[in-house]
Amino acid sequence: MALRHDQGIVLRGYPFGEADRVVVLLSPNHGKLRTVAKGVRKTKSRFGGRLEPFTHVDVVLYEGRNLDTVTQVSVIEAYPRLRGDLDKVLAAGTMVEVVDAVAQENEGSHRAFLLLQRGLSALETGPLHDDIVPAYLLKAAEVVGIAPALTACAACGSSDGLDRFSLSAGGVLCPQCRSGGAYALRSGLVGYLAGLVASDLSSLPPVDPVLSKDAAGLVRRFLEYHLDRLLASLAAMDV
Amino acid sequence: MFEAPVQKLIDELARLPGIGQKSAQRIAFHLLHVEETDARRLAEAVVEMRERVRLCARCFNVTDSEECSICRDLRRDPSAICVVERAQDVVVVERTHEFRGRYHVLGGAISPIEGVGPEQLRLRELIARIEPEGVTEVIVATNPTVEGDTTALYLARSLKPLGLTVTRLASGLPVGGDLDYADELTLGRALSGRREM
Ligand SMILES: [Zn+2]
Ligand SMILES: [Zn+2]
Repeated sequence: MALRHDQGIVLRGYPFGEADRVVVLLSPNHGKLRTVAKGVRKTKSRFGGRLEPFTHVDVVLYEGRNLDTVTQVSVIEAYPRLRGDLDKVLAAGTMVEVVDAVAQENEGSHRAFLLLQRGLSALETGPLHDDIVPAYLLKAAEVVGIAPALTACAACGSSDGLDRFSLSAGGVLCPQCRSGGAYALRSGLVGYLAGLVASDLSSLPPVDPVLSKDAAGLVRRFLEYHLDRLLASLAAMDV
Repeated sequence: MFEAPVQKLIDELARLPGIGQKSAQRIAFHLLHVEETDARRLAEAVVEMRERVRLCARCFNVTDSEECSICRDLRRDPSAICVVERAQDVVVVERTHEFRGRYHVLGGAISPIEGVGPEQLRLRELIARIEPEGVTEVIVATNPTVEGDTTALYLARSLKPLGLTVTRLASGLPVGGDLDYADELTLGRALSGRREM
């Protein structure tokens, strides 16, 4: 009987069989883990709400042929305040969706795990910052190695007149390198984005209402372009 | 592979929720061995349900007429609506005999991660009922999951500005369960929702 200990943050779950659920965890050591929680959908399940998304848990797994079975769960952090606030839950949904898209199974994911943990903690402890999702997305881009160039031209490295942004070139462009399709950026936006990249998620710079909107739109499009998928959690709440 | 007609039934059964290949085979062979009238009765029940049952025009519960029996019942209190995720949940709440109002079936829960937003649910239809039916209280009976919680928070935000009382089913300890099995979140909610005795 092969039992092993691991920890992770619950990304999502889906019904499996009569009363079971497949629970997908992000473990710092093993990346995405697909596990089975038996009987978890019954009201009297001993797992209770411990395997709901966003919960950071310590688990004992029984190794199976395809999926490991969860035999014990204890909560490291449940983020209860986050779960009571609609905007925070929605932001957390995007955070989870992004790491779910970039993390792999059976492959360490310390940086993605830490990013998610810091994101959830920032939501849990502070008031909701308007820029937390774009800031998180920029940091996620860094983790997967697709961080946009913000301080030097993505094509030639020049640092003059960087007022265009190209999704395909991967960042800002100087007047010599810019192509027809590059976005013209509002003045100050590049510096604003760089400020988000440089700050901790729990101490982001003050919000500029105009630049904040632009930043959210640009960063979202940048990530969707490079991950080659739409962010469903953001699309779901576009009304 | 079994004989074609048997295999066809096994394949159909195996597509049902919670039924795997093994169970599908067992059911198929069971149906092969029972009286033909019994097997026929099952087939007819499926066909009849599909032909006669539709969704209530008001609350989206299942019904065999324009409106469901609860919406047609004049003794029900129209000022209170209990919002549930699925039609099955109506039956569950009804069994408690604690609720005398009407229902509204959303058809799911908000799940941003799965791309299910408010537009995919019957929220507009709920809001359209408030005025004509004189609704003053909405009781949110979504599941105590992240999706159910998110839906409840969204409903509260949409409905409170209309002057409605919005309440949520208290979530707490299962009757007959052991206290030491309760997880932190459940226990925390049970504590904050405690009642004087
Ligand atoms: Zn250049
Ligand atoms: Zn009805």
